[in-house]
Formats: sequence, structure tokens, C-alpha cells
Amino acid sequence: MTKPHDRPSSRHLVPPELAGILENFPHVDFSTGLEAYRGNFIGDEMPPLPPELKAISCEERIIPGPEGAPDIRILIYRPQIAAENPGPALLNVHGGGYVIGVPEQNDLANRTKAMKLQCPVVVTSYRLAPETQWPGAVEDCYAALCWMQANAGKLGIDPERIALSGESAGGGHAAALAIHARNKLRQDAKAPKICFQLLDSPMLDDRTGTGSSADQHPFTGEFMWRPELNQYGWKALLGQEPGTDTVPEAAVPARVAELADLPPCCITIGSLDLFLEESLEYARRLTRAGVPVELHVVPGGFHGYTLAKHWKLVQMIDDIELHALARAMGVKLD
Amino acid sequence: MTEPKCSHLVAPELLPGLENFPSLDFNLGLETIREGGLGQQMPEMPPELAAVSCDERHIPGLNGAPDVRLLVYTPPGKASAPRPAVCHIHGGGYVIGTAEINDFGNRAMAVEVGCVIVSVDYRLAPETRWPGSLEDCYAGLCWMADNAGELGIDASRIAVAGESAGGGHAAALAIYARDKKGPAICFQLLDSPMLDDRTGTDSDPHPHTGEFIWTAERNRFGWEALLGVKPGGADVRAEMAPARTEDLSGLPTTFISVGSLDLFMEENIEYIRRLSRVGVAVELHIIPGAYHGFGAAGMSPQFVQVTELRNDALARALGG
Repeated sequence: MTKPHDRPSSRHLVPPELAGILENFPHVDFSTGLEAYRGNFIGDEMPPLPPELKAISCEERIIPGPEGAPDIRILIYRPQIAAENPGPALLNVHGGGYVIGVPEQNDLANRTKAMKLQCPVVVTSYRLAPETQWPGAVEDCYAALCWMQANAGKLGIDPERIALSGESAGGGHAAALAIHARNKLRQDAKAPKICFQLLDSPMLDDRTGTGSSADQHPFTGEFMWRPELNQYGWKALLGQEPGTDTVPEAAVPARVAELADLPPCCITIGSLDLFLEESLEYARRLTRAGVPVELHVVPGGFHGYTLAKHWKLVQMIDDIELHALARAMGVKLD
Repeated sequence: MTEPKCSHLVAPELLPGLENFPSLDFNLGLETIREGGLGQQMPEMPPELAAVSCDERHIPGLNGAPDVRLLVYTPPGKASAPRPAVCHIHGGGYVIGTAEINDFGNRAMAVEVGCVIVSVDYRLAPETRWPGSLEDCYAGLCWMADNAGELGIDASRIAVAGESAGGGHAAALAIYARDKKGPAICFQLLDSPMLDDRTGTDSDPHPHTGEFIWTAERNRFGWEALLGVKPGGADVRAEMAPARTEDLSGLPTTFISVGSLDLFMEENIEYIRRLSRVGVAVELHIIPGAYHGFGAAGMSPQFVQVTELRNDALARALGG
């Protein structure tokens, strides 16, 4: 695994429980092209599902995309019996640096959420970069949200209780979707609403990993998601060099000046994650805008640490996230 | 009285705590407030906490200062091996409070983690200016290390912990011990720590923090009492406030928990960020809808959650 020159290693800050992930996760290098990584590259390990998760149905649907854009493929996970009808629902956006990933990749986590929250979980696909640049993907996510609102009756959803979640680039898209939905709602009171945003290790700021090496955090971003991958992903999304003055504010959540009236937000982030500082800053700015905020920095977690399902702190964070969602969605957990 | 502007941001379970908390209006005079105590309405002490022994000790102060009073909490029973230990420092804005105010919490921590806790009853400001109270804490820490055998503690597993001004002292103690090449500290457990005299003096105050319990005005009062100069200015030297310390490298692993409405939220985020930049292992939890001192609301879900997170982090750090 390469690391930038003149940087101290953060390896000693990685807890032993995570060593296996570091050793076994394939080295990602987009400079050779994306083809090898497209498809279910990051997918959850697929051990046999325990009966309670198998009992969660997973249905694929094709729904209308934004005007003039292609249809969108979504997955809907549903418990056999929803706790409430109409009840809350979760819209999840997958990660993959804006350039890879599929809705299936978080199958285990999404089934678990559907089971524990006893409500539908809609996982949307979106057009990937670089083939589709901003704002295509966030508009796809918005189309999925609109579809949930329009079909709330059939789905048994209370449109006032739709929460949003995403990890990594999915967290970036989720944050951008929350902003987009707020803007639409300001123009039209009948536009769909989001009651909460759960951002797990979100990719919020194109400026991270650019600039001189003196500015860069010496201990974050060494593992899994590195500055050069971040630059690649943002460049693909934006269609221009990240970290420059010509990047439009609206395309990057961390650059958006006005954060008032966004939904309450929970951010979780590993202390070794490249996105640590931008997560801290986004949380801080949200609080200044009067948005209720919860933030958890997980010690020793690099980007993607949640793959370590056996690690106690992953269980802790999963539990924190579940409770944050349940509270916002008005769900009483067992 | 005008309706507090941020009450809609307070978590509903924590609203009762705002009524429980005694007034900290320093215009009433410190004596009045000190006599009133921090009004902790403690539930009845359950037997497992009552079983923790609490011994009062008096040890020499540093450099001829008066003796320092300590409360030493030891879990019941005979340990099979030396126990880890916590040097605990109470809060109170640097100007009020006693080691007793955390009696319940310290007993619970001793039982939960299986550690010895030494709570330092340091001299308060303004009667004692910086660095008097810091030196009292350092005396306590050195005494723990020097008497590890008698106390039944493992001197390689001593953490520092504190809430509010106590967290400020704990952070300062970690820096002081590092610089003096004093006893090793393996972990700092900081609960809403008071780290930065500049907070509450800036021209761009956070619109939603510091409305309840601990305000910018009280913060300026507390820091001025400690430092003997107006806070936030060039008169304050880097060594006087942890947040002003330039070199944070080599400090112990740090845990901070703080409410999202706490005046200290921003300075705490910044401290964690700066520690992470010099390779210190960090953990941070911002509790939504929580004001400074939200423990006043009793066993709220937020309090239960943060207590679990703190105990878990402490157990991990102390090798539990």
C-alpha cells in the first residue's frame, strides 16, 4: 500500500481488530480505469442470511427518472408486517466515490434497518460519474424521493416521516439531496420533505485532498480512500479539477453557504478517515445554522471501517445510528 | 422573562433539567452560590455504590502551597492485580464546586470500570489564581503515581478525567505532566471541557450555544477569576489555557463528549481536530439537543447514552 512521501504513517492508530480489513481489502486504483470496480465491488460479504433478515422482502422496481432522464432502478426492502400504516420510511443512497457502486452493496445493512425500524427502506440507484456529471445523480435521488411521496399511500408511508441515509459518496449525495429538497420546498410547499439525514463517513467537500501537502491532514486518508481517489471521484462528478474557484457552490455540500432549515443531521466518521475534518466542519456549520446535529468520531476508524462487523465500535456506531433514525422517525425500537 | 430563543433545540427529555439547575448568576456573589452547591438532586445511593470506600486524604501541595485535599474512591473487595486509576477533577467554572459534587458519578465509575479514583479538591479562583489549582491537580497526580503500591494501582494505567472546568484542568494537567516529564497519563476523559478563554469573547458568537446553564458571560467571569486578566486577549499566555497550547503532540488519547447546545461545543471540536492533526488518538461525541450540564435532567436517554460511551472508552483505555 503506497502512502504519500513525507507523511508519517497512521498505522499505529489503527486498532488491531481492523487489521484484517486492511490486509484483505483490495487496493483501489482508478488510474487503470473503472471497469474492474463497477458492479457490486464493495458488496457486503454474503454469508447465508439469518431467517429474520431473509424474511425481509426485497423488490426491484423501475421508477421514472427526472424529466428527460432515464428511468431509475430502486430496491424496496420491506418487513413482512410494517409496524405502522402509514408509517415512516428510509431512503438510502449507496456509496462508491461517485463513480462506482450499486444499490445491492449494502444488502445486509438495509435489511437490518428494515427489520429493526419495521418500515420500508428504499435504496436508489443513480447515474454514475464520469458518464453523468452533476447534477444528474442528485436529481435521480430526488426523483426517488418524489416517487416515495407520490406513492406514499400505496407504500404505507407517511410522507412527513421520510428519513434519508447514505455512506461515503452516498452520504455526499444524501447531504446534497437534503439541500436540493429544502430549496424545492421553499418554492413549493407541496414538494417532498425529509425528516432526518444520517450521513455515514460522508463525501462532502471537493477541496479535501487537494492543495499543498502542508495543508493536508497528516494522519487521515492513508487507508482505503486516499486523496488521489477523492480527487478522481470529485473530478468525475464535477467535470473539472476539484478544489478550484470555478467549482459551483451548489454541486458540493461543504461549499453551500446557506444551511438553515436543513433536516436534523447525524454524522458518524472515523478518526483516520480522509473526511474527518470536513465532517467536523459541516457539523459545526450546521449547528450555526440552527440545524439539530449529532456527531460521532470513532477512534481509529479509517474510511470503510464499518466493514469490520465484529468490531465492538462498529456495533456501537450501528446502534447509535439506529437509535438516531428511530428517534427522528418516531419508531419505538424493541 | 423573555422566552429562551433556543428552547426548541433542547431535547424534550432534557427540558426538566433546566428547571432543576440552580441559578449561576455570579452577580449574586460567589459565596451565595458556593453555599448553595450545585444542587445535585441525588437519587438514593444503591448498595453497590455505597460499598465503594471513600477516604479523605491531605497531601502536601507543590512548592510550599497548602495541603491538597483528595477523595480516594476504592472499589470493594480485594483485587487480584493492581487496578487502573483515574485522577478526577470536578467542575464549577473554576470558581465553585468541590470534589464531593461528583461523589455519585465517581462511585459509579469506580464500580463500572474497576478502578481507583482520586478526586482532587483543588483551590478555587479567584482566591487562587492560575497556576495554583493546576499545581494542586499535579500534586494529586504525582501522589497517585508515587503511592501506587499503597493505593493498589498500576501506575502505567492512570487516566485523567473531568467535567467542564474539571475537564479544562484535566486537559491542562495532561499538558503539564507531559512538559514536566511527570507521571505518565494513558488517557484523558473530558466531559464538556472548558478549554479556551477566548470562547465567549469573540465578535462572532455561535447563535445557538451557551444559552443555558453556562453562558458566555459566566465563562468570561470564570476565566478572568482564574487568570487574573481579561480573557480572550493578548495578556493570556499559551500555557494558561489548553486551547492556546501550540504543541499538542505526545498528549494522551483523548475522549470528549459535549452537547450540541453547549457553549464549549465549537472549542471542543477544534481541540479534537488539532489533536488529531498531531497524531493523538481521538474520540468525540456531540450529543444532540443537549446543553451544558444536561446531567441535571437525571437519567435521560441522552445521559444514559453518554455515560455508556464514556465508560466504554475508559474501559478500553484502561485495558478493561
